[in-house]
Amino acid sequence: MSTVLKIQMSNAHMISSDALKFLLNIHYVYNLHQKNGFTCMLLGEIFELVQLLFVVGFTVFLANCVDYDVLFANKFVNHTDSSKVTLPDAILPMDVCSAHIQDNAFVIFVLIISGVFWLHRLVKFLYNVCCYWEIRSFYINALKMTMSELPYATWQEVQARIIEIQKEHQICIHKKELTELDIYHRILRFKNYMVAMVNKSLLPVRFRLPVLGDCVFYTRGLKYNFELIFFWGPGSLFENEWSLKPEYKRGGNRLELADRLASRILWIGVANLLLCPVILVWQILYAFFSYTEVIKREPGSLGARCWSLYGRCYLRHFNELDHELMSRLSKGYKAASKYMNCFLSPLLTVVAKNVAFFAGSLLAVLIALTIYDEDVLAVEHVLSSITLLGVCITVCRSFIPDKHMVFCPEQLLRVILAHIHYMPDHWQGNAHRYETRDQFSQLFQYKAVFILEELLSPVVTPIILIFCLRRKSLEIIDFFRNFTVEVVGVGDTCSFAQMDIRQHGHPAWMSEGKTEASIYQQAEDGKTELSLMHFAITNPHWQPPRETTHFISQLKERVQREAAGSAPDTHPLSLSESEPRSLVANIMADPSTLASVHFACDSSLTNNAASGISSGATALRSLSPISSSLHLRGSLSAAHRASGFTGRTMAGSGTDARTVSSGSSAWEGQLTSLVLSEYASTEMSIHALYMHELHKQQSRGDLSRHTWHRQESDESSDSIPDEVRSEPNAHSRNFPRSHTFPTTLTNPVIGSGSAGTAMSQEEAKAQSSSQRRHSGPAEDHFGSGGKSVRTARLPMGGWAEDGKASSRHHEPLQEETSEDELPPHIHKVT
Amino acid sequence: MNCRSEVLEVTVEARQVEEAMLALLHTILLHRSTGKFHYKKEGTYSIGTVGTQDIDCDFIDFTFVRVSSEELDRAIRKAVSEFKDALSSDGMGQISLEFYQKKKSRWPFSDECIPWEVWSIKVNMVNLANEQERQICREKVGEKLGEKVINVVEVINRHEYLPKMPTQSEVGNVFDTSLKDVQPYLYKITYQITDSLGTSVSTTMRRLIKDTLAL
Repeated sequence: MSTVLKIQMSNAHMISSDALKFLLNIHYVYNLHQKNGFTCMLLGEIFELVQLLFVVGFTVFLANCVDYDVLFANKFVNHTDSSKVTLPDAILPMDVCSAHIQDNAFVIFVLIISGVFWLHRLVKFLYNVCCYWEIRSFYINALKMTMSELPYATWQEVQARIIEIQKEHQICIHKKELTELDIYHRILRFKNYMVAMVNKSLLPVRFRLPVLGDCVFYTRGLKYNFELIFFWGPGSLFENEWSLKPEYKRGGNRLELADRLASRILWIGVANLLLCPVILVWQILYAFFSYTEVIKREPGSLGARCWSLYGRCYLRHFNELDHELMSRLSKGYKAASKYMNCFLSPLLTVVAKNVAFFAGSLLAVLIALTIYDEDVLAVEHVLSSITLLGVCITVCRSFIPDKHMVFCPEQLLRVILAHIHYMPDHWQGNAHRYETRDQFSQLFQYKAVFILEELLSPVVTPIILIFCLRRKSLEIIDFFRNFTVEVVGVGDTCSFAQMDIRQHGHPAWMSEGKTEASIYQQAEDGKTELSLMHFAITNPHWQPPRETTHFISQLKERVQREAAGSAPDTHPLSLSESEPRSLVANIMADPSTLASVHFACDSSLTNNAASGISSGATALRSLSPISSSLHLRGSLSAAHRASGFTGRTMAGSGTDARTVSSGSSAWEGQLTSLVLSEYASTEMSIHALYMHELHKQQSRGDLSRHTWHRQESDESSDSIPDEVRSEPNAHSRNFPRSHTFPTTLTNPVIGSGSAGTAMSQEEAKAQSSSQRRHSGPAEDHFGSGGKSVRTARLPMGGWAEDGKASSRHHEPLQEETSEDELPPHIHKVT
Repeated sequence: MNCRSEVLEVTVEARQVEEAMLALLHTILLHRSTGKFHYKKEGTYSIGTVGTQDIDCDFIDFTFVRVSSEELDRAIRKAVSEFKDALSSDGMGQISLEFYQKKKSRWPFSDECIPWEVWSIKVNMVNLANEQERQICREKVGEKLGEKVINVVEVINRHEYLPKMPTQSEVGNVFDTSLKDVQPYLYKITYQITDSLGTSVSTTMRRLIKDTLAL
């Protein structure tokens, strides 16, 4: 039987074998996109290498080959032709120079170390170039994107194309379709673990020091070490980039594994200690060369703030890519620094004002004299004192508050919250307190403090590793065992990153009745719920499992109903404090106007988006009374939109239309996706505010269950009865109120009385089911050394295609499993 | 990560190891082999025939089907006997059959192998005391192997990823074309022996150095 068959002639095979591998390297795809294409990446890396060489070379040169006596004119050079001292005069001749270097053992030591370091970087660079070259050809051949258009394509577009080619070439061999969540999981596998560990306060980054009090220490060096220990260093918990070593998945010999981990941490700590001088020297040099120029150019930058590394971890959602986080935090930057500036110490202000006055007068005199006759500059130290005085004044000025500033921390904090999405409960209503400010400054630190911490890091890191992290090794082992799920086609991921309300929801964050998580399993600060909303909003195509869909739609509906129900009352007071309000308005106004412009010219946006924006506008209005101007603008744009809508027929559901639009011409797609991402961030802000508001009302009367920082672990907090938590009256609970304007409370009777009653019914249901939750065995096991045995629950079903889910559930075909070991707590998710 | 993996587990006596492994590996390869391709014109090819053969086991009550290709059989026997020799009398071991695609690289790099399916067979060895137990074991292992074969067939029957049929120039990247009479997907057989739990210090050190060097 010999039949003649046809081959589909194409480069299909080439792509498919490329693609099989490409999926392993999907983070390279993301990186290449973030670095704006191959050429930019290449240039950047080359310059980094050159920079390293330069830093070392230049330092050695400065230390050994410069005759400072000549420069400082302590020694006279005899020139035949002129009396001017030239730069070459100050440079020692080659032989003297090399003799200097050879005499100095320390310099040779530094040179050798940095040489090794540089070679390591070079090898890594070459390896990276090969990798990225392949990714580049993948972009060009499979994704059909040239490098030149890459910087102008959003990640969402790239992602859409990846999902598209999965359908054609099946780059992931386990399933037919690739979801957005799969891609995110692959890219952010380790970051999700880090976020979860920070969320559960597992990492030793907070310390109570005798003098400084509560403080956070989390630097790049420390982070590097953590990652080295957990994820990729030799002997780490992961055997390769996508799977945890099997022995860590079983509970059997957890004590032994913890011992092993502890000794590894000890070794790495000791290695850090030994390398400490080298790293320290390196840090100092690097900081000196990268920051002196900046400080000279704008001395104020030291007084500026930046989001701390800890803040980035604390504020990051599960499954949030770098660029999403950065844009979110950057949007919150202005409000945050404004908030921090509210808290200038009055004592310092007085001092600073006077210092600035005296320094200013001296400076004025010197400058005036210089203008009169520039020989003054030649007098010794005049130039340096002018510079110093200038720096001094700039520093002082940063301590003097702006005359026109209004102290309204509560409002500002709300605006910040709209962007950063996370905040411990006790901040609300305490925004004016100094403690709140101090805690916020842990997330949002001075640039100067940041640099200082980086400099200290080589010394402190080994101490933290040896004395703090080592003690937590058992908890870490337990964490990785309990919170790792194996997702088919993705590998081992952090189970928090599945964003499953049922497994990790927190009852105080709207998932009451839906969650079955024990306290150990609940993510703090509503991380699961907020991450879920964030992911669903940024990836509208994503189809979550059924229960999750229910949660999302319910919440969206509620937000919308609140918005529609509450009459837009403009408060007379609201005009006086226009400042923070205008910020709120800004959140709103920009995307909606953008959107309306877009509507006028193009008909590819959807009613989904439109109703979202308008609902957003009204929701914000209900959250904090907004000046009538915004209201006007909102309604105007709404009218605009409405007219746009009547002109055409809506085809397809909201989400479908988005694909259509992004698939059309490049420019149009660009615009749409920009508008959509803008819109998405606004929508997310509104949801975040709403969820916080609801959470606050829900947990009022409740003993504050989780504090800003949970103590070592949470045995104590197990005992709060649910009944306390849920005894609200329907109205006050559902209506989000503004704290600063208690008067609006009197008329919140909400246009929708029916909505209120519907809510209360829902509440009753939720309550009854929450009591059911307690009868479950889920919470029994907590307490003994943080060990928690997960009850054998079914893994989330319906993750992939519904019907087939069970059949493609590929169990190992094994028999006789040894009974003495605990079963691995790994859920297979299909 | 981006490859299916299936695990089979068997418990056998020392003298049964070879036959049990052959039975399973041959069963899998039977379904992962095609006849030789004969390329005609642009984009068409015909597939040659593949013969099958029944093999009776000596130490197990079992008969399996394999591709009747002596060359293939020789290759597999060689791998299995190596595995058997390495396995101590009551140790545990794992032999894995990995199907992969080759990817040609430019000169300084060697070709890359990208696996798409891995079958791991875990073997537990038992020592039996008397002849009666051996007799029971002989039957029991036969039954178990039968179940495994059905498992294998079930897995293979699912419509899941297989490499696309290659063109003439690329056939070597997907299929093993070195055999005269049959053409299996590219495969390799590896094994590892787990003598006891935990690794010794020297192996850890070796791993550490290797990992460091491998970036």
